[in-house]
Amino acid sequence: MLAYIIRRLLQFVPTLLGVVLLVFMLFNWIGGDPAYLLAGKMSNPEQIENIRKQLGVDQPYIVQLGIFITQIVTGDFGASWATNEKVSAIFATRLGPSLTVLAPMLIFSTLMSMMMAMLAAYWRGSLTDRAIMIGCTVGQSISILVYIIVFQYVFAFQLGWFPVQGWGQDFITNLLKFSALPIIVGVAVSLAPDTRLFRTFFLDEIHQDYVRTARAKGMNEARVMGVHVLRNAAIPIVTHVMIQLPALLAGAFLIERFFSIPGIGREVLLAVERSDFPIIKAVTVYVAVATLCFNLLADILYKAVDPRVQLK
Amino acid sequence: MIVRWLIGLLLAVTVAGCGEKPSPPSATPGVPNAQNGIASEKVLRITFQTAETGFDPVKVSDYYSGVVIAAIFDPLLTYDYLARPAKLVPNVAVALPEITDNGRTYTLKLRRGIYFAPDAAFKGQRRELTAADYAYSIKRFLDPKNRSPYAFLFEGKIAGLDKLAAEARKSGRFDYDAAVAGLETRDRYTLRIRLNGTDFNFSHVLAFPLVGAVAREAVEAYGDDTHAHPVGTGSYVLKRYMRSSKMVLEKNPDFREMIWNAEPGADPADQKIAARMKGKKLPLIDRVEISVMDEAQSRWLAFQRRETDIEYQLEELAPKFMTADGKLKAEYADAGIRMDRSIDPEIIYLFFNTQERIGDDINPLGGFTPEKIALRRAVAMAYSVEDQIKVIRKGQAIRAHYPIPPGVAGHEPDFRGGIPHDPRLANALLDKFGYVRGADGYRRQPDGKYLFLKYYSTPTERDRQFDELMKRAMDSIGVRVEIRKDRFAELIKLANQCRLMMKHAAWIADYPDGDNFMQLLYGANAGQSNSACYKSAEFDKRYEKSRQLPDGAQRNKLYREMTRQMEVDTAWLLTDSRYRNVLLQPYIVGYKKHPVFAHEFLYMDMDPR
Repeated sequence: MLAYIIRRLLQFVPTLLGVVLLVFMLFNWIGGDPAYLLAGKMSNPEQIENIRKQLGVDQPYIVQLGIFITQIVTGDFGASWATNEKVSAIFATRLGPSLTVLAPMLIFSTLMSMMMAMLAAYWRGSLTDRAIMIGCTVGQSISILVYIIVFQYVFAFQLGWFPVQGWGQDFITNLLKFSALPIIVGVAVSLAPDTRLFRTFFLDEIHQDYVRTARAKGMNEARVMGVHVLRNAAIPIVTHVMIQLPALLAGAFLIERFFSIPGIGREVLLAVERSDFPIIKAVTVYVAVATLCFNLLADILYKAVDPRVQLK
Repeated sequence: MIVRWLIGLLLAVTVAGCGEKPSPPSATPGVPNAQNGIASEKVLRITFQTAETGFDPVKVSDYYSGVVIAAIFDPLLTYDYLARPAKLVPNVAVALPEITDNGRTYTLKLRRGIYFAPDAAFKGQRRELTAADYAYSIKRFLDPKNRSPYAFLFEGKIAGLDKLAAEARKSGRFDYDAAVAGLETRDRYTLRIRLNGTDFNFSHVLAFPLVGAVAREAVEAYGDDTHAHPVGTGSYVLKRYMRSSKMVLEKNPDFREMIWNAEPGADPADQKIAARMKGKKLPLIDRVEISVMDEAQSRWLAFQRRETDIEYQLEELAPKFMTADGKLKAEYADAGIRMDRSIDPEIIYLFFNTQERIGDDINPLGGFTPEKIALRRAVAMAYSVEDQIKVIRKGQAIRAHYPIPPGVAGHEPDFRGGIPHDPRLANALLDKFGYVRGADGYRRQPDGKYLFLKYYSTPTERDRQFDELMKRAMDSIGVRVEIRKDRFAELIKLANQCRLMMKHAAWIADYPDGDNFMQLLYGANAGQSNSACYKSAEFDKRYEKSRQLPDGAQRNKLYREMTRQMEVDTAWLLTDSRYRNVLLQPYIVGYKKHPVFAHEFLYMDMDPR
């Protein structure tokens, strides 16, 4: 196991290097020159040069790339070019709001999808299965933007059950008052695709020999489904959830924008609009590292869920 | 089991969410509460549609940061709240500056007993505002380390200051202790500013909201984080700051005595405001809560739910609450909502690069020979400004006829441009000057070469609409146009290099004086603000003369001649100036949009509901 983890960790290096090179090239070739944005309405070449010098974008590309790699190694991405706020402070203050919304959203949507998928798979071909599948197909066809606009209009504006938008100072208020509607929107959006996907995982297991054997031995249906089928179907579900976890770090920018949640997704969008490279760099690297780590964690969890799995 | 647990959790969340309904203004802690009879604090809730940058006055250029900065810092001069066009009045100065030496020397006396808001940087001492604070604050604009977007306000203007900035660029350190001949503090309360040349309009720079006084101790104490620690002498202090999300301003406990004494004009609405507000001690609003709300839909719903009190950024949603003739729909007026409508002090224009070459290539639009001017004029005549206002602005703009917009000194309301929208005439003009159509239906240059024009815009939905209008206009005169898309920053870079052939541009007043607009066509500003890179000896001669004059008939005459000259050369097609529609809840008192400053809440009040 330890050898496997070390080997996987070593594989991180070339992968990360690829990400770094890609981000660096994209920013320098496609992104605009930030000096012209920061210089204001009237600027002369001298001022532009002064800004480029201060930002370090006047350096040769190889030197800039070296600085980028040093920043990754030290974990110090400096400060935002636009606001001068430390990138570390941006993460420290914006991750909390994002996770307040996205963590419950992921938990609820996964559990609810598993329940619905199990029901649909158990009664495959029945009216229940068809109703759930039709609902999922319709739900999946609707854009997240429509969910947001309709839910905000109906539940916040018309019915007044939730605030239209906002964010407070304490965790409980934020979770129960301001995050409730964004969480419901997020759950509604992921419910349909997750249910469809999980249903196939359950269907793969439900006709296996071990299930027939369990039933033949007189085991009740709740135990067959809740223990045996669920445990085996959990392996691909764990993979799916793990793949989604890094996205929590990137936030859900549309939900954050519409509900005025000061999360990391909104900050990333702002950074792109402002050509604020330090933030873009940091987010990209953190998401890449998180993806690699969660993938490794998923593989390790396979082993925990199913002892038959061999890590090589 | 799991299902029950899930349902329970969801219900708990929903019920908790419902528990505190965002109730309408009764929740507004800002107004005297009739139920408990206690006059609680007045809280105003407003929104920003884009995140602020920060609150160090020399380091920002965005409107939203400016709103907060204007509430926290005090410039020497300011503008009368009601007077239009904007009228300069003293702020912390005792009087308007004494201008001597043919507009080269400005002497200002500060009021005594004005103090900075208490801050840890002052180590428990009260800190009085002095003339030296303004000298220091002005110097900061030219400190290369601050890379101030508004350095141009002072560059080349104050005697000795540019030399200090040049030395700082070499040494890497700005010497704030070095004496500057143009910034003389004759005593603790007197500031004498000596300019390099005559400028009768420099007072506007001294009233610019970002030219407020900062305390050197505070700037040095907070180092690189001055954006988050604004310390000024203004009416409000920053009480809570959640970057890019929420800003809470509270009354400055040490704020000087300031009485509402604006001058109402003939407008009955102004007189009503004055009758209600005259003589009141400012500020009247205890707390201002500013939330950043990126999406118009959220802002509009929040305003209707009375989660916010003023909303002024709903251009795209205007048809929802306005009638075609620009009035508030009856359903909203009946609910007591009011609308303040004004024209932004801005101009939008389509500029044509007048240089003969763009990089190494010949510019088919550039130059001043008759056929080149004819081509520019034909393009201008083919473009429909009316459609731009109707389709893109959804009627929320007026046609711009003059380079100086309404509300700005030098504006000529009766001036009418000499370039009509007339594709038929445009075609005739091109025929006359030898731009003949080829077999493909598109015109060739007089020398027979292919004619390709390039129009630049950003890859946004709004700019796509501009592209379509431009393409339609060019098709109507048989001119092939290529739409070039690029990011905003790259377009600025290309404009600064005089490499854009045609593009729409906008300019909003930094200060309400015509010079701020006419400089956009001054030859020496090519590659800076003069994106058309227009260089006309006739125009420049008059512009230089206008800079020697104060606002008045003589200067206005020069501005008219300059505008006609620009039209003759067709460097621009003026298009429009947008309306600003501000929605107000029924209990907002005394609001009137000011063309320059954006902290109207200093002059406002709130009624009980």
